[in-house]
Amino acid sequence: MRAGRIALVIGALAAIVYPIPLQIQGTTYYQTVGFLVLINAMLGVGWNVIGGWAGQFDFGPQVFFAVGAYTAALLYVKLGVDAWLGLLAAVAVAAVMCAVLTYPLTRLRGHYFAIATVAIWMIAQPIGATWEYIGGSQGLFLPVKPPAGVVAEALSLQFSGPTKSMGYYYAALVLFAVTLALMALVERSKLGYYFRAIRDDQEAAEGIGIDSRLYKVIARSITAAVFAAAGVLYAFWALSVFPEQVLDLHWSTLPIMATVVGGIGRLWGPVLGAVILIPIAQIMSTTLGTGPLAGRGIDLIVYGLIIILIAAFRPTGLLSLPWARWLRLRRPATA
Amino acid sequence: MAPLLSVEASTKHFGGLLANREVSLAIEAGEIVGLIGPNGAGKTTLFNCITGYMHPDAGRIVFDGGDITRTRPERICRLGVARTWQVVRAFGRMTALDNVVCGALERTNRVAEARARAGELLDFTGLRGKEDAPAATLTLADKKRLEIARALATRPRLLLLDEAMSGLTPIEAAAAVKLVRRIHEELKVTICVVEHVMEVVMPLSHRVVVLDYGVKIADGAPQAVVRDEQVIRAYLGDRRAAR
Repeated sequence: MRAGRIALVIGALAAIVYPIPLQIQGTTYYQTVGFLVLINAMLGVGWNVIGGWAGQFDFGPQVFFAVGAYTAALLYVKLGVDAWLGLLAAVAVAAVMCAVLTYPLTRLRGHYFAIATVAIWMIAQPIGATWEYIGGSQGLFLPVKPPAGVVAEALSLQFSGPTKSMGYYYAALVLFAVTLALMALVERSKLGYYFRAIRDDQEAAEGIGIDSRLYKVIARSITAAVFAAAGVLYAFWALSVFPEQVLDLHWSTLPIMATVVGGIGRLWGPVLGAVILIPIAQIMSTTLGTGPLAGRGIDLIVYGLIIILIAAFRPTGLLSLPWARWLRLRRPATA
Repeated sequence: MAPLLSVEASTKHFGGLLANREVSLAIEAGEIVGLIGPNGAGKTTLFNCITGYMHPDAGRIVFDGGDITRTRPERICRLGVARTWQVVRAFGRMTALDNVVCGALERTNRVAEARARAGELLDFTGLRGKEDAPAATLTLADKKRLEIARALATRPRLLLLDEAMSGLTPIEAAAAVKLVRRIHEELKVTICVVEHVMEVVMPLSHRVVVLDYGVKIADGAPQAVVRDEQVIRAYLGDRRAAR
């Protein structure tokens, strides 16, 4: 599709150029907003695998966000392992841990599967808060390395000084792009076909040789791997990992909302959703910060309204609107 | 030579309801076998036991020399048994082509190869031109054909068709019968068809097995079975049989 190609190029250019004028101006705040959009878009793309393609509602993927953050942080603090190596280790640990935890859950279907994923998250919270080795409720603090040039900063995933926000923005952009590319491959592979077959009809899928339990486990482990990678990035950005923060519910609710708003089961759905939703909270908290509407929770009301409107008028998400037809209408009738 | 499939005294009950009682039957390679019986006779239960969706309470099911009594559906498919469903179970949100691709991926890991094979099977089953239609939007007759194409994509040696012709117009049913014959002749697949419509099964089958209240009451050539006292009684009642 030509319109899709053009949109992709424009979007990619905008994402790459975005922080530069802000950097010249000296506003780091909106670069951090961009960073959060990218992290949530990445999480949404990851959640789409289990929730959108495989059709299994997973409300506990933030467990693996935490697993990733803790794994890399522990390796860095206790053994001095580099961030990027730590990221690979975190992805592997989260995927394996997810496979072991999820296999028994795949006997459950529908709401019961969803409840079980929440249960695992609830079990993870006291473990995170009380396990001494990982710092209990105090968490872990990542010591800052002295800055030593852009390349060294990028290699150690530790940006500091006036370019800190820009550094993390680009790190998030790289991870997001890699995730998106890998998930595009998954979508077109045997895995993508099998996930959607299980979503549409599990019995029929088994009848044509698909091991539904195995492929559900694979789908959720892919989701877990993406969440773990994002967790590592977040840990190095926050320079700390503590249970309340990395196990916060919003690490699953925001990506899920972004996926639903943009278009569940579509590769780019969560990306569009994140671009729309995430800045709302940030902009509202800055613009309403001193006004009569000040206070927390307004953004949640707006989110709620958006979700209600989408659910009522376009349950398949904004990407499913007939964009191609609309865009063609505006062109002169020569072609 | 041992039969391709043999069901040995398979019994299955749900609570107090006896769905299959010591049903035994054999299907030889190359046959078309009709499995008939009034509604509730236990035909679909027997299909579910053969394809691993249910496991018999007693008895044994052997396919190609291997015991599959307690084997899971996806393993049984890999061994070469495919089925369709009484109530169609197409992958509704996927396109017709993608439905069949999922089946073809059972025998290959390469998507391009699976797509080529799926395209051939859509042609074979008369669904050319509907490749990109979401399966949910197809007519019932097309959905049934799609299910057959998807099942064939797994390269089965034994194909079990659960009421592939019910709910179709006479013209559609005739086309479906023709398709079943072509699958048998051109793809050399052994077929077992479940129907409760006698007119469809009799001309198609080499042999007919009749179930009634979970028990096998007849097994033989179609011409012999239609004259069987017990079969007539099961279908038409006692008065007609006595005449």
